Amino acid sequence: MKLLKLNISGVRGLVGQTITPELVIDFASAFGTMLPPGPVLVGRDSRKSGLMVLEAAVSALLSTGHEVINLGICPTPVIQFLVRQRRAVGALAITAGHNPAEWNALNFINGQGTYLNEFQGSELLDIYHLGRFDHQKLKKSPAVINEVNPEEVYFAWLGQKLRTAEISRARFKVVVDPCNGAGARLVNKFFSSLGCELIAVNNEPSGYFPHDPEPRPRNAGEVASLVRATGAHLGFLLNSDVSRVSLVTETGETLSEEYTLPAAADYYLRLQPGAVITSLSTSRMIEAVAAKFRVPVIRTRVGQSALVQALLQEDGSLAGEGSGGLAFRGFQPAFDGFAVMGLLLEAMAVEQKKLSELIRALPRYHIVKDKLICPPHRLHSLVAETRKLYPKAEMNSLDGLHFTLKDAWVHVRASSTEPLIRVIAESPTASRAQLEVDRVMSFLNRLLG
Amino acid sequence: MKKRLPLKVSVSGVRGVVGESLTPQIAARFASAFGTYLGPGQVLVGQDTRPSGNMLKKAVISGLLATGCQPVEVGILPIPTILFLTREKQARGAVVVTASHNPPEWNGLKFIGPEGLYLSRSRVEEFLDIFHQGEFTFVAAERIKTPGQEKNAGQHHLNKILSRLKVRTIRNRRLRVVADCANGAGATLLPQLLRELGCEAMFINTDLGGDFAHQSEPVPENLKELCCRVREFGADLGLAQDADADRLALVDERGRPLGEDLTLALAVSYLLGQKRGPVAVNLSASMAIDDLAARHRVPVIRTRIGEINVVEAMLERGAVIGGEGNGGVIWPEIHPCRDSLAATGLVLEMLASRREKLSTAAAEFKKYHLLKDKMDCPAELAFRAVVELRHRYQSENISTLDGLKISWSDSWVHIRPSNTEPIIRLLAESRSPLRSRRLIENFKKEIKVIIRKLP
Repeated sequence: MKLLKLNISGVRGLVGQTITPELVIDFASAFGTMLPPGPVLVGRDSRKSGLMVLEAAVSALLSTGHEVINLGICPTPVIQFLVRQRRAVGALAITAGHNPAEWNALNFINGQGTYLNEFQGSELLDIYHLGRFDHQKLKKSPAVINEVNPEEVYFAWLGQKLRTAEISRARFKVVVDPCNGAGARLVNKFFSSLGCELIAVNNEPSGYFPHDPEPRPRNAGEVASLVRATGAHLGFLLNSDVSRVSLVTETGETLSEEYTLPAAADYYLRLQPGAVITSLSTSRMIEAVAAKFRVPVIRTRVGQSALVQALLQEDGSLAGEGSGGLAFRGFQPAFDGFAVMGLLLEAMAVEQKKLSELIRALPRYHIVKDKLICPPHRLHSLVAETRKLYPKAEMNSLDGLHFTLKDAWVHVRASSTEPLIRVIAESPTASRAQLEVDRVMSFLNRLLG
Repeated sequence: MKKRLPLKVSVSGVRGVVGESLTPQIAARFASAFGTYLGPGQVLVGQDTRPSGNMLKKAVISGLLATGCQPVEVGILPIPTILFLTREKQARGAVVVTASHNPPEWNGLKFIGPEGLYLSRSRVEEFLDIFHQGEFTFVAAERIKTPGQEKNAGQHHLNKILSRLKVRTIRNRRLRVVADCANGAGATLLPQLLRELGCEAMFINTDLGGDFAHQSEPVPENLKELCCRVREFGADLGLAQDADADRLALVDERGRPLGEDLTLALAVSYLLGQKRGPVAVNLSASMAIDDLAARHRVPVIRTRIGEINVVEAMLERGAVIGGEGNGGVIWPEIHPCRDSLAATGLVLEMLASRREKLSTAAAEFKKYHLLKDKMDCPAELAFRAVVELRHRYQSENISTLDGLKISWSDSWVHIRPSNTEPIIRLLAESRSPLRSRRLIENFKKEIKVIIRKLP
C-alpha cells in the first residue's frame, strides 16, 4: 500500500514511495502558482530526505518566478515567524513533525505565517489537480538567498515577549531532548538566553532519530532518568520541528503530552484571558482550567490549521491540543514549542512553584489512545459505523465521531496524516477509559475482518 | 492544430524551451531515470551560463538524491572539463544543464556516463527506456546521501593539459592572443590557461550573466568582432570557443577567420609530427586529414557523425588524435572528448615550436574547398532517396556508414538525412570552390528527380 495523505495544509508520505521529486515539484509548483508574486521562505527539519525535498521545492518555486529565501534546517515556528518579519508571500516547511524518519511532508504556510486555511488549501489542490502551473521563461532567474542563523531574530523577539529577567533569576536546570531534529543546537542558544543550565541529549541535527520524534511518555525514558540524576527542575521532549512539547517533572515523572495544554493555560489565561481553542480529542482537563478563569472552551477539528484559524476568528487566548502543540495569541498564530517552554519556565519562576506543584493543581483524568491501521478508502465509513455502539450518547460529528458518556468521552476519527483510525477515550479512572477503547477497537476489528 | 511543444530527446540528451516544454518536473524525471540507470554512486552536476540553470540544477539534484546517488556540484564549467573530471573523480557519471548553442530561452540536460564518456547509442536507448517506463528505483529515506560540492574543479583539467605541453617553449614566445569566449563556460578557464602559457591576452564576451553577445557557433559570420580585435591588438592569433567550450575556431594574425575545419587539420598536422599513430575523424571531415595521414604513413579511421562515434573508434584503435570538422579536436592524452582548451594548447605549441605565423601554417590547407549545404526533405523521403542513390553509385568508391559518401581521387560528396530535422545535409570537397559547388548542385538536382519519381 502506498501511503500518501493530503490534508488542507500539507501533503505527507513515505519517502521514495509517494514523496518523490516529481510529486514535490508538482505541489510546490501549484503553491508557487497560487501565491502572489514575492519571496517565499523554505526550511526543513533535519531528516535525511530533507535536502532532496528542499531542492525539488526550490526548483519549482524558482520556476514559478519566486525569489527563495532558504532557511536550511529550521524549526517550523521560526519559519512561521519569519514569514511576517520578512514580508514573504508564503513559506514551505519540509517536516513530518512527529512521524518516523522514513516519512516527510510539505506544509504550506501563507503570508500571515499560518497553515493554509480550508479555502486556500482547496484552491491549492484545485491547481494541483488541474496540473497547469505558472512556469516562467526565466530570462532572469529569481535569486536563492541562503540565510545563516535565521533563528536569531526570532529568539530576540521571543526574549522580549517572555519575562526573561525573572526566568534567569530562577537559574533553572533543564533537560531537553530535541530528538536530533530541527531544534537540536538551537536549544543551547534559547536556554542560555533564559539563563538556564542546559543538559541536552540527542542534540545534533543529524536526522538520525534515536526514537520516534513524538513527545510522549513512551519516548521520555532518557530525559526522565537524566532529570533524576542531575536534579534538574524539569525536562522537555520536542518533535522534529519544535511544534510539540511534552514534559517531565522534577521528580522524573513522564507526563502525558495531554498535560502541556492545561499546564500552560493555567498560567497564560491569567496574563491574557480569553477563549481556549482545542480539538475534540483533547483531554477534559482544559475544561476545569477554563472554568477557573471563566472563559469558554471552543472545540474544533483536529490539527494546527483548524485550531489557529479558530484562535484568530474567535479572538481567543490560546489554542492547543493533546498532542502538545500550542499557539498563544500574544505570541504568534503558530504551534510554537519554544514559546511553550519559555512560558512554563516563566510560570514556575513567577509563581515560585515546581512543575509537579503546577500539575497537581490540575484535575486528573486518564486518557487512553489506540490506533488501527485501515485501508484509506474504508477510513470514514468504518468511523461512521461506530455510531451503532453508542446509540444514546450525545454525539459531535465535527471531526470523526465524538461521544460524550456519563463519566467519560470517546473520540473515533480518521487520521488526517496517516491511514489510521485513532480511538481515544478519557475518564477519571484509567480502567474505564481502557474499557471504552477496547470496546471500540474490538468492534472495528470485527468490521475489518 | 495544437502547437507542438519543442522538447527534443536525442542521443545527446534532452532540450526544450524553459517554462514551456522544459519544466522542473521533466528535469527531475530525467535525473531520476539517470540515477536509476547508473545506480548509487557519485554523479557530477554542472551547468552553463543560462539563468534557468539554477532552477533546473536543483530539480536534477533532487532526482539524483531520491535515487540514492550522491550529486557533486561543480558549477559553471566547460563540457570537456566536466567529462575529464568525471573520469578523474571516478564518478558514475555526470549531468550537465546546458543547451550548447541553442537560443537563450532554451535549456537542456546532457548525460555523461562512466569514464567521462557520452553514452553510446545503445546505452542511451537503455536509459530512455527507463525514462519512458517511469519506474525509478527511489531509495528509502535512510539511504539518501548528502550532496557534495567541488570548488575550483577546473584546475585539475588545466593541470593535465599543462603537463602534456612544452610550457617553456610556449612561454618564451610570449604570444599575443585575442580570445572570444562567446559568453560561455570557456571564460571560466581559458584566461588562466593563457596566463600559464605566458600569453599576452585580450578577452571578449567573457560575461557569464547568461546573455549571448553573438550566436555561439564559431563560424566566420559570428566572429566579426574577434577578427577586428585581432587586427587592432596586433595579435598573433584569435581564438573562438563555442558556448560549451568543446569547439575551437581560429583567426589568423591578419584577422581572417580560418574556417572551423582548419582547427582539426592543424592539430592533426602538428601532433602527427610529434607522435605517430592512427587518426580518427567522422565521414564529413576534410580530406586534408587523409593527405596528412598518408604523409606520416598512418591509417585514418572514418566514423559515423556524432562525437561518441569518433571517441569509441579512437579508443578501440588507439588513435593519437582525432575529431570533427566543426572545430572539435579530440586529444586523447588529455581526455577522449572534443576540447577547445586542449586544442588551444596544441595550436599555441605548434606556433611556438615551429616559429611560424598562423597564416603560414594554414597556407598548405588553402587548396581544400569544403562546402556545406542542406535541402528541405521529409525524413521518410530523405531515407528512400539516399537508398536509391546507394544503388545508383554502388560501383563507385562509396561508404554507407552514415547516409552515403562517394569518394573520387581528389574530391568527395557526403549526403546524409539529418537525425533531428526534416532536411538532407550535403557536403562536398574538392580542390576548387567551383567544383565543390557544382558537386552539391548536381546532387541536389538528382535527389529532387529521385523524390519526384518515388511511388
